[in-house]
Amino acid sequence: MGLVVEHINKSFAQFQVIKDLSMEVKEGTIFGFLGANGAGKTTTMRMILDILRPDSGRITWNGKDVHEVPRKNWGYLPEERGLYPKMRVDEQLLFLARLNGVSKQAAEKELDEWLGRFQINANRKKKVEELSKGNQQKVQFLATILHDPTILVMDEPFSGLDPVNANVLKEAFLEMHSRGKTIIFSTHQLEQVEELCQDIVIINKGQSIVQGSVQEVKRQQGRNVARLKLDNDPEARWLDTLEGVQVTKRRQDYIEMHIQANLNPNLIVEAALQHGGIISRFELAEPSLTDIFIEQVGMSALPDAPSVLSA
Amino acid sequence: MSKKAVVTQEKELPEQEQRAVAVSSGGAANQNTRRNIGLIVGREYKNRVTQRSFIISSIVILVMVIIAAFVPTIIRYFTSTSNAQTKIVVVNNAGTIAGLNGDALARYIGTALNGTAAQATGTNTPGQNTSGKPPFAITVQTSNALGSLQEQVKNGSLNILLVLDRSTNQDLHLTYYTNANTTNDTNLSKVQVLAQQLNFLDAAHRLGLTPTQTSRLFAQPGFTVVNTGQGQNNRPVSEIAAGYIIAIAGNILIYIAVLLYGMGVALGVAEEKGSRIMEILVSAATPFQLMAGKIIGIGAAGLTQMACVVAIGIGALLLQSPLQAALFGANSGGLTLNITSVSITLLLLLVYFILGFLLYATLFAAMGALVKRQDEVQNAVAPLTFLLVIGYIVSYFGVYSPDATWMKVISYIPFWTPTTMLVRIGASGVAWWEIPFTIALMIVAIFVCAVISARIYRFGVLMYGQRPGLGQLAKLMRMK
Repeated sequence: MGLVVEHINKSFAQFQVIKDLSMEVKEGTIFGFLGANGAGKTTTMRMILDILRPDSGRITWNGKDVHEVPRKNWGYLPEERGLYPKMRVDEQLLFLARLNGVSKQAAEKELDEWLGRFQINANRKKKVEELSKGNQQKVQFLATILHDPTILVMDEPFSGLDPVNANVLKEAFLEMHSRGKTIIFSTHQLEQVEELCQDIVIINKGQSIVQGSVQEVKRQQGRNVARLKLDNDPEARWLDTLEGVQVTKRRQDYIEMHIQANLNPNLIVEAALQHGGIISRFELAEPSLTDIFIEQVGMSALPDAPSVLSA
Repeated sequence: MSKKAVVTQEKELPEQEQRAVAVSSGGAANQNTRRNIGLIVGREYKNRVTQRSFIISSIVILVMVIIAAFVPTIIRYFTSTSNAQTKIVVVNNAGTIAGLNGDALARYIGTALNGTAAQATGTNTPGQNTSGKPPFAITVQTSNALGSLQEQVKNGSLNILLVLDRSTNQDLHLTYYTNANTTNDTNLSKVQVLAQQLNFLDAAHRLGLTPTQTSRLFAQPGFTVVNTGQGQNNRPVSEIAAGYIIAIAGNILIYIAVLLYGMGVALGVAEEKGSRIMEILVSAATPFQLMAGKIIGIGAAGLTQMACVVAIGIGALLLQSPLQAALFGANSGGLTLNITSVSITLLLLLVYFILGFLLYATLFAAMGALVKRQDEVQNAVAPLTFLLVIGYIVSYFGVYSPDATWMKVISYIPFWTPTTMLVRIGASGVAWWEIPFTIALMIVAIFVCAVISARIYRFGVLMYGQRPGLGQLAKLMRMK
């Protein structure tokens, strides 16, 4: 069953932020929640956490309304820093864990283990505001998981992390996954989604536009990507006349094109040979999520929506 | 999942649809109210008392209180050492005055000016500048030294020269020589009073009245004040004075403390909102728990600070009596504060302070929840500050008319009860039932304000858009 969002709508004043959004997150999976800035991701997450209530529709966890699910089952990582800046790291994490019903001893034990693993043990007695952004984000992550919640809702957990720290966090993600936690997270780094997520949804202006498993989503696009390089003809203008082929990029190192799913890629090679081309590279690939995202969301969503949305 | 669960959700659906913004009021968090409030109180308290600004402000206030307590003693110390003793030489050309002559006259003048049977001997007493020293030293000299005495006044070695003569109709005439500015010479007025007394006695003596007759002539009439009002008729004056001092001091204390810590609550809420930790907190505790924890935690920290100030202030005041005794001698008459006689007023001060703080703090918390950033707090709480200032100012009018009907009515209004009731209790005493009555009214008001504030808080803490208008506020509050 997992988390089921059914036809939710939400308006702020006259502005409809979420329109008839439905999605399903299977229990124990990592779920990528994608969308441009202001698409309604944060609002949806707040509704999942029962911080906001939808105007209509409902959200259930294993068939139970989310506001009936005990609070300690939820772990939330907000997009902006959600910590007391002037409070010590260890005191802060203990406070939040105990507020979520963890006993003092258990919380201390968990804290020691995680601070060690995240290599911020040296900073445990520092105030949060004295830490680097990356370390703050790690503390924020610990605040989310220390009470051992079942469902983790994370709003851009990877923002502000360097590749090393991003990797540490990714491993923590995978460990949470192996412990059977359900993880919902939003991000703009789509490579991570391809790497981590089973299922995704892409929303635009409050509506779901693509969803399913990463494989399905890619297949749904009904096309593949081909990359071609000809040593003697870098432009290869004749490609534009081929049916079922759409050139997307002419780069220095190769030409990238979308080809319809039913098109035999051999036709491209044959056409290249016919035009006397010397092929130094030809490869077939699935469309990346970045491509799909840009294509689906398009340019229209790029300007930021009113601040109410992103708040 | 089970069918049962699904059915119950469907029943709740219509109600749920009415909610525009609702922070979870879920049952799970409710069960742990006491634990959560305890944790939040602990955090707020520790956070506040370890803040550098809190420690520094406490030290500054304490130093100020100690200085204030010592100021009278210090002033007295300096005035008594610099103004060592006022030397007066009396030249009596008037012969026997009111049957007194020579040393007897000097002794009488000394008694009248010093207020005690001090040493007014025929000879000067230069060696006597110890603690028991009276303010005036009287010496009687003969008229042939008049010229040199006048010279002494001129060059400052003699403070006052007093020459007594009789005019042609035998009335007394006094001439007062001084080097000091006569417009604000306190000695002059004292000597003038003395002159009047001497003149009366002398006239009476010349008319042939015996001292007994004279004293009967000037005896005070019997005059008894009977107050038929309730409560205070048998309170001794000293207790009224002490109660009054505590009421005024407590009034200032309440005003400052409520404003200071109420502001602390509003700023704290705004800070949590600004740093977005609120989003994490509301999924762990209910808005009511957050609000209550914050108010109690900050209130307890404030109470700690105030208790230190009051305790050290009283301690410093009590120290003044022995200190003044050591500096100025045994009967220096410093402030003697009888703590037991004012303990009830002190207790009421504490009760009204706590109630007043709780009442205002709930509203301050709601205001803090409505703003978007910390720097907007000042504007948002302005109406509350105004309300508090009114009560503070009105209480000073209450000093002059503590039993007026309008004053009673105002003191029953919970927002103004703490300051006005204290002054009324201090100034006149109130009917016993008024105290439980006002306390009960305040508790009701706190309850009502807490309910309203918790609702404002609930939707306010996560609202980052425009500040809602009054109409919208009322609408949102009616939602469950």
